[in-house]
Amino acid sequence: MISPHLRSWVRHPAFSIVALIFGLALLFGTPILAQHEDTPAPPHATSVSDQEAVPAHGEGGHEEGTVHPPTLVSIAAGLIEGHAVHESKDAVHPVARFILRYQAPIFSLLIIIILSTLCILGARSMKMIPGPLQNLVEWALESLDNFIGGVLGPEGRRFVPFLGTLFLYIYFQNVFGLIPLMFTPTSMIESTASLAICVFLYVQWTAVRMNGVVGYLRHLAGDPQDLTGWLMSPLLFPLHVIGELARPLSLSLRLFGNMMGEETLIAVFIGLGITVLSFTHLPIGVPLQVPFMFLALLTTLIQALVFTLLSTIYFALVLPHSHHEEEAH
Amino acid sequence: MNLFALGLPLALGLAALGSGVGLGRAIGGAMEAMGRQPEAIPRIQTAMIIGAAFIEALTIYVFVSLFVFQAKF
Repeated sequence: MISPHLRSWVRHPAFSIVALIFGLALLFGTPILAQHEDTPAPPHATSVSDQEAVPAHGEGGHEEGTVHPPTLVSIAAGLIEGHAVHESKDAVHPVARFILRYQAPIFSLLIIIILSTLCILGARSMKMIPGPLQNLVEWALESLDNFIGGVLGPEGRRFVPFLGTLFLYIYFQNVFGLIPLMFTPTSMIESTASLAICVFLYVQWTAVRMNGVVGYLRHLAGDPQDLTGWLMSPLLFPLHVIGELARPLSLSLRLFGNMMGEETLIAVFIGLGITVLSFTHLPIGVPLQVPFMFLALLTTLIQALVFTLLSTIYFALVLPHSHHEEEAH
Repeated sequence: MNLFALGLPLALGLAALGSGVGLGRAIGGAMEAMGRQPEAIPRIQTAMIIGAAFIEALTIYVFVSLFVFQAKF
């Protein structure tokens, strides 16, 4: 017997989505990786520099570098190549090379299409009493507006669309890799660095526009008021410049490191679950990765939130009203 | 087998140790503050998440460096 409380919980749409994801993960994720594990990767014939590292590694089958669960793109590349490939430098066929190299942009594009479709469908026929999709979109936008607008204050309201889009985009990117055969674009440094550079440029531009060029340079020199301040400014100026430049670096590395670590963790545990049952010689495995996927659901949300929150604070720091508040890091 | 194979995991462990201590202190302080002033929970939570992100970033840097140097061992 299921208690009524649990039944209402099971009927919740979020639960069915999560259940669907994990069901599909169990169905498809493990056998396909099992096939990948069964066919050992060919020796790196093209890259000479890797050759000297391979003999020390001992275990022949594994490739160097990061480990990812199989994705649609890597499977397609494997079909083109004729054997399993994981990295673009292993692939020989130009198409396989291309799609493996541009895996992150391909999946980013897919996510952009999904997000845009959701938002367009949700806003197409807006009613006073909203349907389920309009309700969802309105709820997401309203809570983001409250959250970011609460940090930035009334003057910063016009940055909410940028930051809210950033949050939705990063969250979808993070969580997309948990769907079997999909890929987390944010586990590649290119995607996170591009997002962080966008934030950096927008923040600097806003700072120049808000304070003027002179005010901007003055702020970088530490707002000198008296003689001591002016004497200190040559010392403070490079310090502030390095501080500004370190922000996109830390933003991108944090997101990239977390997401890649999570992907690697899941991939390693999928492999472990297959190794456990390898004596059966069947493409099956113990789904050991499932608890880590629940953990990943949490980290994806928190990392998207952290990226957005830090960007929000960088905006709040350059807005005039919060000039003398405490500095972030 | 070279010193990278020993040094990098050790460095990651040390960084994780430091981050763990720091996170424990930060979140412990935040929990205490939340218990004392439940009405300020949203603001404390925001500050706590930012602080936790900065503390955790230190371990992530070491983790990234581990992947950078992975080809060497």
